[in-house]
Amino acid sequence: MDGPDEIIHQPIRLRVMAALTACDPSEEGLDFTRLKGLTGATDGNLGAHLDHLTRAGYIEVSKAFVARRPRTTVKASPQGRAAFARHVAFLKAIIAGM
Amino acid sequence: MTIRSDEAAAMLADVESVVTKVKQSRIYRNAALIFILWGVVDLVRDLLIWARPAWFGSQWFWVDLLGVAGTLAILRLGDMAAARFPFRTLAAFALFYTFGWIWSDLLGQFGPRESMAFWPTLFMFGYAIVGLWFGWAFTAIGLGLTALVLAGYFWSGGGFILWQAIVTGGGFILCGLWMRRA
Repeated sequence: MDGPDEIIHQPIRLRVMAALTACDPSEEGLDFTRLKGLTGATDGNLGAHLDHLTRAGYIEVSKAFVARRPRTTVKASPQGRAAFARHVAFLKAIIAGM
Repeated sequence: MTIRSDEAAAMLADVESVVTKVKQSRIYRNAALIFILWGVVDLVRDLLIWARPAWFGSQWFWVDLLGVAGTLAILRLGDMAAARFPFRTLAAFALFYTFGWIWSDLLGQFGPRESMAFWPTLFMFGYAIVGLWFGWAFTAIGLGLTALVLAGYFWSGGGFILWQAIVTGGGFILCGLWMRRA
């Protein structure tokens, strides 16, 4: 059994990865505001966690202007999806008593 | 790092909760377009009836047909599960319209006022039922607009057609805009 993923294990980052991997890879991902609502994090807190996940290569962040407003979109990378799947499998294995 | 079984269960529950919210949000976003489409269809149809009462009757069915075609197109564009079964979606519409026709024309022989109240509420109850599986917003919108239609039926007097245009047309458009942000 793999160990826990130290990066994803943190509760806010776990929620971020859960939300992003729930989106189809072909979709554009979720915007910052939506992620903030889903995770219950503040702007600064969420930004720091997204930086952490970006450095790990688990997410891709893109910024654009939509209707003259800045919009930050976040998407799970294939590497992030695989890491999240491993972490969830690890949690399930704990519950199963393996 | 050691994780206890109850901690792992709590984390998985957290994951499940977030995933459910994301999926529901996607359903709401796609449904929002359908709500806005039907809002426009209802608004146009009711305003046509208001401006030219001759439009009341079988003519409005052709306006509704545009709504049915638009619904199928939105389901397809949104890659919603229902788009994989266009026949079922068409069959669902056909069943609703057949049921409505049996009761409003064949057996009930409703007058114009009753018909204008009956048809929207028939579909509202459909939304209310769908909401039991796909999210409370559908149920709230279905029952809320039904209550407004009934209020108009009993208390709007001669302004019932305009009331319907505002409540079902405008109501659907507003609900759709709200669902896009949900």
